[in-house]
Amino acid sequence: MNKPLLSIENLCVNYITSGRPIKAVNNVSFEIQEGEIFGLVGESGSGKSTVIQAVLRTLPPPAVITDGKVVINDKDILSISDTEVLKYRWKEISIVMQSALNALNPVLTISEQIEDVLREHSSLQGQAIQDRTEELLSLIDIDISRLDSYPHQLSGGMRQRVVIAIALALMPPLIIMDEPTTALDVIVEREIIAKIIELRKNLGFTILFITHDLNLLLEFADRVAVMKNGKLVEMDSAQNIRGGGKHDYTQKLIGSLPSASGPRERGMLSKPENLSLGSQPILEIQNLSKSFIDSGIFNSTSIDVVKNVSFQIYPGEIIGLVGESGSGKSTIAKLIARLIRPTSGNILLNGNNKKVSEAQKVPLEYRKQVQLVFQDPFGSLNSVHTVFHHLARPLVRHRLVTKQNLFQTIIENLETVGLKPGEAFARKFPHEMSGGERQRVAIARALSLNPDLIIADEPTSMLDVSIRMEILEIFARMRIEKNLTIIFITHDLASARYIADRIFVLHNGSIVEENSAEQLIQSPKEEYTKQLIKAASPGWLESLSLDNGDMKNA
Amino acid sequence: MNQLHDSIFVRWVTGIIQNRKAKTGVVIIFIFLFLALLGPLMTQDSTAFLSTPLSPPSSEHLLGTNGQGQDVLAQTIIGSRQTLLVGFATGILVVFIGALIGGISGYYGGKIDDFLSLLINVFLVMPGLPLMVILASWLPPGPATLTGVLVLTGWAWNARVIRSQMMTFRSRDFVSAAIVSGERNIRIIIVEIMPRMLSLLASSFIGASIYAIGAQVGLEFLGLGDVSTVTWGTNLYWASNDMALLTGSWWTFVPTGLSIAIVSFALTLINFGIDEVTNPRLIAERVWRANIPTKKIVNGVTPVVKSHE
Repeated sequence: MNKPLLSIENLCVNYITSGRPIKAVNNVSFEIQEGEIFGLVGESGSGKSTVIQAVLRTLPPPAVITDGKVVINDKDILSISDTEVLKYRWKEISIVMQSALNALNPVLTISEQIEDVLREHSSLQGQAIQDRTEELLSLIDIDISRLDSYPHQLSGGMRQRVVIAIALALMPPLIIMDEPTTALDVIVEREIIAKIIELRKNLGFTILFITHDLNLLLEFADRVAVMKNGKLVEMDSAQNIRGGGKHDYTQKLIGSLPSASGPRERGMLSKPENLSLGSQPILEIQNLSKSFIDSGIFNSTSIDVVKNVSFQIYPGEIIGLVGESGSGKSTIAKLIARLIRPTSGNILLNGNNKKVSEAQKVPLEYRKQVQLVFQDPFGSLNSVHTVFHHLARPLVRHRLVTKQNLFQTIIENLETVGLKPGEAFARKFPHEMSGGERQRVAIARALSLNPDLIIADEPTSMLDVSIRMEILEIFARMRIEKNLTIIFITHDLASARYIADRIFVLHNGSIVEENSAEQLIQSPKEEYTKQLIKAASPGWLESLSLDNGDMKNA
Repeated sequence: MNQLHDSIFVRWVTGIIQNRKAKTGVVIIFIFLFLALLGPLMTQDSTAFLSTPLSPPSSEHLLGTNGQGQDVLAQTIIGSRQTLLVGFATGILVVFIGALIGGISGYYGGKIDDFLSLLINVFLVMPGLPLMVILASWLPPGPATLTGVLVLTGWAWNARVIRSQMMTFRSRDFVSAAIVSGERNIRIIIVEIMPRMLSLLASSFIGASIYAIGAQVGLEFLGLGDVSTVTWGTNLYWASNDMALLTGSWWTFVPTGLSIAIVSFALTLINFGIDEVTNPRLIAERVWRANIPTKKIVNGVTPVVKSHE
């Protein structure tokens, strides 16, 4: 084997606190060979980002590197002087950050930001800088006319490509990509990855790719390292990992998510033996529209977020509402939960024909029947109150229990969602629990009112991959036990397929296709649905690169 | 994950007790409050004419006498009573009105917000100092007038700040979650949102108190208070009237001036302390700095500290 491009030996990073230092990275060693795509995968808090920030020495306080070697070009980055560190950044290693919106300066045009790197780090001057900038833009397929655009004038995918262009500016041998596609929609994510692979083929740089999404990584990485709690638990070729991996944790990561294509195989959720739905729809949406008016001093523009959406849901059903960001799916959730008022249209619960747009006050009864579970379990619980408070308030407000039974009921509710022992959890504060536990509390709160309808707005997307299925399972079980009707909102077709009976595909504020889950996946009719399914299926990369090849030949 | 099992309030109180800045500030304020409460028992009569006017500090009069032959130490201690009372009362009222109007405005939005914002903005653009001087000279002098004038000219800025903070909380998920579970708006504001704003409210209170003490002393110094009462402001007013500077009798104004400075300083220390307790990053960075050799710190480059035990 050749000399590795980057070698990390026994890297240790501590976070200094007033108590004992926290070991964020503990004895991590790996080598990256020239030309390969090395994937580093781990869930939030695993230390994967800390490792790469230690390599660049960009860790903010209170981090301190306590041991180890990071060798690139025969130089140990951890023992050279600080001014030398600044020199090797961007020239030897560049980085593509997670959020392209934050990585770009909103008040500078994209050409200024690319030129800035060239001027600072290269010997190019004058016209040569401009030429190089245009060359970089053409590399990433952005029209030169967009040179003077500001970041907010570009779409998320284009912004991410600009960030990649900046990383490529000096042609460093190693590019670190820290979750470069996490903030993007699935179709755009696939395009960006295909672009990265194509660029690497043509330009021949090495990639260190950081992500929480092992299945994504396995599509294109050569070797994969799995991190957990600051330690490397497994490192192997992508092929071997795909085969299952040796470590339990790796297996858990692989097996934790269902796929959106092919026959149903993994992650079977509890489904009722034979689904018996009521004959009367529990919820009927008629021509629902919502537009937001952005009123300036001189003009006001109106944006139609939801356009003329109609559907019916029957008691005991699980509906998957699938759409990308900006499709209006969360707005629909808020409309049904009556957090906002529709511009026009009706929301009929249990055939109750009261026009929502006319109602001034939402009746307490409606608040009992319809509950909402939010995407972000960190934000939907109030950090100053205990779990007990969160679960007690709805019960007290709706007078569902007597004072003597309150504590007992709350403990039962907590144990229903798998938080055992309930007594211990009732006393906890949100910051004392993990993300998954917090989401369980949020679900318990929604369930405690015995609602007829629960709207779950991306309840798993902020959670670590390995616990997503457990959360989905709670919903599936509750449907059977309590005959709940559930609207499951997600951007992820695969999880919608596994939990939902019917799927509505939402695009630009309208429902473009609806069908039973299996039929929609197996035989989609609309072009947009096909794209979504393709992007969510294994092997998408080959088909995408083929498409690109065709386009070039034509 | 975290070892703490206390509520945010307990965490706060222990944090402030452990914070050196806040502790110093609290101790100083308590000394002043103690003297203000028990002062009359310990000092000579502050209004009695006891000795030759403008006699320098002596064993009989520790801080000398003023132009009327009154004991300066007694005047300083007794003077703190009304000054601190008006200062803290203004602080409380400003925060209360600010939270009420700013909170309602930010939470409900729409027409209510349009109207209340207008009200806030009108009070913001009104020139505070001239208004203060006019009102103070027109109304009958006294602590109530002073408090009223200071609150009237000082509440708007606080309301503005609290309104914007409320608007960001209003759009948070935990508030939406409370609405969906049927909670009443007023309860959401008081029970769910206000505790989250505690640090803002506390530092607003301290800021408003410092402002009130300063402005009040200023008004009284100009002769716009009740000059027959003994306060820090009137102390300075009389010192100036008796031409203390020309006669070189420094002891007539230095004790009062120093007291005002120390109280403001102590309040500012408490403010810093609250900031550090509620913003753990500030503490984390200090702990971090204390744990690595100073020469190792270069901005933007993570230090490497290898310990070979």
